[in-house]
Amino acid sequence: MTAVEATGLTRTYGAVTAVDGLTFELEEGRVLGVLGPNGAGKTTAIRMLTTILPPSSGRFAVAGIPDGSEREIRRRIGVLPESAGYPARESGEEYLAYHARLHGRPAAEAVAAARRLLAEVGLADRESALIHTYSRGMRQRLGIARALVNDPAVVFLDEPTLGLDPQGQRDVLQMVRRLAGERGVTVLLSTHLLDEVEQVCTDVLILNHGKVAALGPVAAVVSRAAAPRSARLRTGPDRVEEAVTLLAAIHAVSAARAADGRPGEVTIELSAELAAPAAAAAVLATLVEAGVPVAEFTLEGGRLSDAFLEVVST
Amino acid sequence: MSGAWTIVARRELADLWLRGRGFALLVAYSVLLSATTYLVATNQAINFIEQREAVGLTLQVAVAVGALLSLLAAADALSGERDRGSLEALLLAPVPRWQLVAGKGASALSLWLAAFAVAVPYVWFLGHGIGLVAVPLSAGLAVGTLLAVAFAAMGLAVSAGASTSRVSLAVCMLVLLALYVPTQFPVGATTGWAGELLQRFNPLTAGLHFLGRLVIDGHGAFEEASWLAAPALFVTAAVAAAAVAARRLRLSGVRE
Repeated sequence: MTAVEATGLTRTYGAVTAVDGLTFELEEGRVLGVLGPNGAGKTTAIRMLTTILPPSSGRFAVAGIPDGSEREIRRRIGVLPESAGYPARESGEEYLAYHARLHGRPAAEAVAAARRLLAEVGLADRESALIHTYSRGMRQRLGIARALVNDPAVVFLDEPTLGLDPQGQRDVLQMVRRLAGERGVTVLLSTHLLDEVEQVCTDVLILNHGKVAALGPVAAVVSRAAAPRSARLRTGPDRVEEAVTLLAAIHAVSAARAADGRPGEVTIELSAELAAPAAAAAVLATLVEAGVPVAEFTLEGGRLSDAFLEVVST
Repeated sequence: MSGAWTIVARRELADLWLRGRGFALLVAYSVLLSATTYLVATNQAINFIEQREAVGLTLQVAVAVGALLSLLAAADALSGERDRGSLEALLLAPVPRWQLVAGKGASALSLWLAAFAVAVPYVWFLGHGIGLVAVPLSAGLAVGTLLAVAFAAMGLAVSAGASTSRVSLAVCMLVLLALYVPTQFPVGATTGWAGELLQRFNPLTAGLHFLGRLVIDGHGAFEEASWLAAPALFVTAAVAAAAVAARRLRLSGVRE
């Protein structure tokens, strides 16, 4: 079943088009990483899908509920807004219980849900502490807990790792992974942490200037947008010249040279006529046959970050 | 959810009275009322001011300032959430926007009710010797509630559209200043048909004038009811404006 569906979703601010014809579908239980440079339209897109911002044109449906039924959509979604603020003089438990009440839970059930969620995000020991005593990472976790007070079908997390230290980032991303894995919810995650998106997300949507620049499963987007075109090889410093000569002569390689300032390393440009894995296999076979030792061989340009840079620079 | 406004109101009341500035505002109000009562009582002692007038003046200050407190709370209610970055989470609740606004309005009105409760002993102190307690208190409650509802609704309407609390408070203060200025006009400027028209059109001066007629001049409420037309109109317009603003409540105010 489709959890999120957008068709031609557009939002303009005067002459500026923040999101331009956003069209995509996300199946239930998937984790979509929404990427893009600053000002690409990620937050605007999320705000439209979460009913905070009316689209200028286009249609969407979340959890099977079409736009126009905003309140029904809000019942089925959980959202961690970008740069969310929190009431400083309330405790985490009071804050969550209040939002649980607004989502229709009776008072006792709201408090129980608040405690359960605080435990789930690792804040059980801080349930009575005032929010102003929370660290930034704890507030983000509290925000994620708030997004779960209504047991949502779809969760939108807008920059949940913004401003967090590496440990905080890891904690939040592990939480996202757990959300998808244990609760089975569909997650839309906007972030700048490309490596982590690669690990956590099943799909990726790259926005650039408000338009969809790439969309699909992470592996497909990476291979489509950033197929490896170069490689690095490490051998013995005395075998570099031989390796360069051998590789320059084969069809799979368009250029090979000794890396400047790095003894024993060879930089290889792969031929565009062959797929990267085939070219890599040919390179390794040639060297092994000639008895050149290979201490390390790395294909470059096969990461999401490479795909991202390639897509947004066009 | 039909009762969501009560959930919002309860939370806002706790925020205002247990964690917020409700008591600080009330203390400042009490100091002002004490000073006013002291001045009119001592003036009365040396026969510069009649006892009925002392009751009327104190009541007018209590009503005007009490209603102002409601405006202050309401003007910050939504734009304050916007400033703190907590409005988006509130807008994501599956609750009609008017209920969010109504809950905050109810909390703002609690300041007026508390202010009125504080004013009761002052009015009693000045008026019990001449049997003038029930009329000023009932009239003060009626007029003050009318003005407080109108001010709170106006504050909410402005707050819903303002990008920041500072803007919201500035706009409200400007309107309030325009309403208060005629109360400071010399007597000569308020007599004659033009002066009376000005007083009748201004909901604040009309409401305070109504109190003066009842408490100081001893007139009947029905006899002077026409003075309540402007406050009643003001309430209607302000509540309608707040209802429209609630329907159009957006994350970034009117800029969106």
